[in-house]
Amino acid sequence: MKSKKQLILPYFTAIVICLLVNISQSPAQSDNNGEKRVTTSYFLTGATIIPSPDKILSEYDILFKNGIIVKIGKNLQAPTDAKEINGKSLFVYPGFIDFGNKTGVKAPELPERPDNFDSSNPDPEIAGIHPHFSAAKHYQLDENLEEEWRKLGFTLGQKLPVGQGMLPGSTAVVIYGNPDNNNLLTNLQSQYFQFSTIRGLYPHTQLAVMAKWRDLYQNTVLHEESLKLYEGNQHIGRIKNDPVLNALIPVTQGKQTLLVSVNSELDLRRAIKMQDENNFKLILLGVNEGSSAIPLLKAKEIGVVLSLDLPKDSFTDSLPKAEQGEDYEALIKRGKAAYKEALTLASKFEKAEIPFAFSSLGTEKKDLFKNLNLMIENGLSKETALAALTNNPAKLLGIENINGSISPGKMANMVVMTDSLFSKDAKVKMVISDGYLFDYSEDAKLTDAKNQVWNYAAETPVGQSKGTWEFVQKDNKWEGTITYDSPKGTGIKKSEMKDLLKTEDALSFSFTVETNEEVLEVTVSGDLDPDKFEGKMNIKGYNQFTVKASKKVKPNKNHE
Amino acid sequence: MNKKLLLLAGLIIWLGTEGFSQKNPVADVLIKNAHVITITNGTLEDTDVLIQDGIIKEIGANLKAKKNIPVVDATGQYLMPGIIDAHSHLALEIINEASSPITSEVQMRDVIDPFDISIYRALAGGTTISHAMHGSANVIGGQNVTLKLRYGTADPEKLIMEEAPRTIKFALGENPTRVHGIGKNLQPRSRMGVEAVIRNGFEEALQYKRVWAKWEKDKQDKKINSTPPKYNSRLQTLVDILEGEIIIHCHSYRADEIYMLIQVCQEYGIDKIVFSHVNEGFKVAPELAKYTMGASVFSDWWAYKFEVYYSTAYNAAILTKNGVVTSINSDSDELIRHLYHEAAKTQRYGGLSDDEALALITINPAKQLGIDQFVGSIEVGKQADLVLFDKHPLSIYAIPQITWVDGVKYFDRASDEADQRLKINVKRSPDPFLLSTGTHNCMQDVDMLFTENQHY
Repeated sequence: MKSKKQLILPYFTAIVICLLVNISQSPAQSDNNGEKRVTTSYFLTGATIIPSPDKILSEYDILFKNGIIVKIGKNLQAPTDAKEINGKSLFVYPGFIDFGNKTGVKAPELPERPDNFDSSNPDPEIAGIHPHFSAAKHYQLDENLEEEWRKLGFTLGQKLPVGQGMLPGSTAVVIYGNPDNNNLLTNLQSQYFQFSTIRGLYPHTQLAVMAKWRDLYQNTVLHEESLKLYEGNQHIGRIKNDPVLNALIPVTQGKQTLLVSVNSELDLRRAIKMQDENNFKLILLGVNEGSSAIPLLKAKEIGVVLSLDLPKDSFTDSLPKAEQGEDYEALIKRGKAAYKEALTLASKFEKAEIPFAFSSLGTEKKDLFKNLNLMIENGLSKETALAALTNNPAKLLGIENINGSISPGKMANMVVMTDSLFSKDAKVKMVISDGYLFDYSEDAKLTDAKNQVWNYAAETPVGQSKGTWEFVQKDNKWEGTITYDSPKGTGIKKSEMKDLLKTEDALSFSFTVETNEEVLEVTVSGDLDPDKFEGKMNIKGYNQFTVKASKKVKPNKNHE
Repeated sequence: MNKKLLLLAGLIIWLGTEGFSQKNPVADVLIKNAHVITITNGTLEDTDVLIQDGIIKEIGANLKAKKNIPVVDATGQYLMPGIIDAHSHLALEIINEASSPITSEVQMRDVIDPFDISIYRALAGGTTISHAMHGSANVIGGQNVTLKLRYGTADPEKLIMEEAPRTIKFALGENPTRVHGIGKNLQPRSRMGVEAVIRNGFEEALQYKRVWAKWEKDKQDKKINSTPPKYNSRLQTLVDILEGEIIIHCHSYRADEIYMLIQVCQEYGIDKIVFSHVNEGFKVAPELAKYTMGASVFSDWWAYKFEVYYSTAYNAAILTKNGVVTSINSDSDELIRHLYHEAAKTQRYGGLSDDEALALITINPAKQLGIDQFVGSIEVGKQADLVLFDKHPLSIYAIPQITWVDGVKYFDRASDEADQRLKINVKRSPDPFLLSTGTHNCMQDVDMLFTENQHY
């Protein structure tokens, strides 16, 4: 059995941050591959700017530098060091904030169940009670996945810890910025709570989750009292370290929010009841029904995060006549009304003036804006929809001083659209995140397709050999170069690819490498996915090695 | 702050909270010319019952009501107290927390489902109060909740009968031994183990009480030399049982196990205990009469597993004649719709009188739930939970016409719409065959992990 002590390692924020740092190989030159930005200063001109939902500024300029918005105004003087972006006919909105998202967060490794495991009294971690874990610690940036969110206009996301039990850990806010940076904005943002369990052991159902929460709360308060007593009195025995209770102290003190995930109206009522019994700061995540509780939520000033997921309409297409039972018409009528109820929920929160946010959790990316538009068709104002993606989540996260609107001093997080937001043909043209520019326009996509950089790694007997492949398409013909560590020990070498064959699903080429003794002929061939390659590297007269490569995603350099 | 402002602020706060701590709905009604079956005072012919603010105000002839009080002409019809079911799992999202032999900390009031269509169906069968119980997977299960069937609210709290005392579920015999002993290799594996689990629980609770008492005293005397003890709501609940604050409702079948628990309770000074099912209760009827708050039985359900073979339909009558406070329960969302039929069976098997038979589903379950001062009979001052039948409720032809809870009409056969759902599951297709609800049972939520076969 693994001892409890092994689980009781305290997690210091510093360690967490260190773990998140993507330690990139330090290059010999300051910019050996030419990827560094020419400037960190940008000047967006003549755009329609919506700095906050209630304002529109026509033909305005924005200057942002080093990730911060410096100036907004009309006919600003173009700074000499700034890269200019023509914003004519474009609409600029604050970057969207996703209040609940699990992309990139890995499930923590839980201790193994001992041989004499007692399912009625498991260790807290095994029971899914690990508030001392954090999403930040288990977050691994996968740019390919995060870019999907950024492409939709999201520049910040609150990452939720992954775990099946009631207290999976604390949340973190990350920036969807340059993947080479550490993009953790706030750690230990809130404590995440869900009404779910690892079934088959205690707590097994919501019944025991509620009871367990009461006990945890009371014992946290007692634990804090014990710690204070111990500090001021030497005759009291040592207090055993309890990472679970330690992690909950900020919640009972009202310093950290309990973010409670709700899947139903009954969950929502249970969460309110929890707060009635034991006071704490409460935000409800994923609200998808329960308009009857709106007055209560309003009076108690409970934070609300609505789900962007909407039910499918299963009532418009009717069943074949033969399958229609008695009262079919009446049933369909009620079904339609219930469906409508789901679509109008957001507008009801708006009418009640509850400043809610949105979470993408459980929603397919392709449905996000479709659902937002459905809500708008059903009474939600565009202004409130925008506020729920920007200003409101910033406030609920306590980061409104640096985020949620476009104003000097705030982070340069913006979405540049081709038309006004929620209009039919509006497309995301660019996303500015943490001051980095990501170009998602059609032109950029074409250029991107014609200019590719891949990172490869080959397993050789002397260790991993790494480098890049660069492909350029000219007149429908691919040309390429490869970089590798010179066997002569003279740094990074670059060679032209010969016999390059690149199709949708296959890639092969050869190149030569000079060593001190000879010239080696190397061929590479294998299977190609859109973003991944797997194949063999064959060195003539020597051996064959495995090579893996992935297409590099990077801030587009069109405007840099 | 000046006084006026302070007053104003106070008023605003009061108004603010008033909106949400609303009292449960009550109403006025005058029911005229009914055969009034009072249960405690015989049947009064051609009698009026006046209800004001949900309370029975007057019973008598030719009562006059204020102008706008609705009047129901019940000429030739039978008015009786709302039916009370002392053992039900109606309106619960979850029934068993089957993960530990003792789960006294869990509370059924946390998982009330006000949208359960079965609530309406129970009302249509004249039932106004159900005792929403934890299942029988654990030796000491969760704390139950007594519900008033105020169908129509989305707020689970609004169904709770706040006046009702706390109750808790115990279970003896095959269910807990199968779930924990056979299923998970924990105690109890036998009936002896069941007793040991209860005794150990009570002993731990006594220790827990002592530890806290010492801490509180040290704190008072300012002689603190330790940190506070841990809070444990499981043991605290057992302490509350030992202190007489909670009524035990115990799932049981066999006479030996019933007598075992009577002895254990005697030893620990517990007298608030009701036995449920109690199929062999007739064998220990005098003991049940002397030491317990009664027995709540099925009219004629048995032989669904080994421990329930030795049974008789005369059980309720034998218990009644021996002075046991006896009730007939449903333990079923279906049976709860016609408990008056179940009560009538005691006339065929045992020859109970009308009042004795109807007491089994009204005042007696009220006594077992500790709410007989509020409900269970038609008396001035009691809550107006009533049901009007077209014929005598013990007749097989009787059909409930109107059901009131606190004077509020929740069922009226004359205006009974087909679709009474409060909530539509939009994820479900409108296929009418999928619209029926499942029924609840004693072993629900006990995963296959714990038990190979599902049993009641």
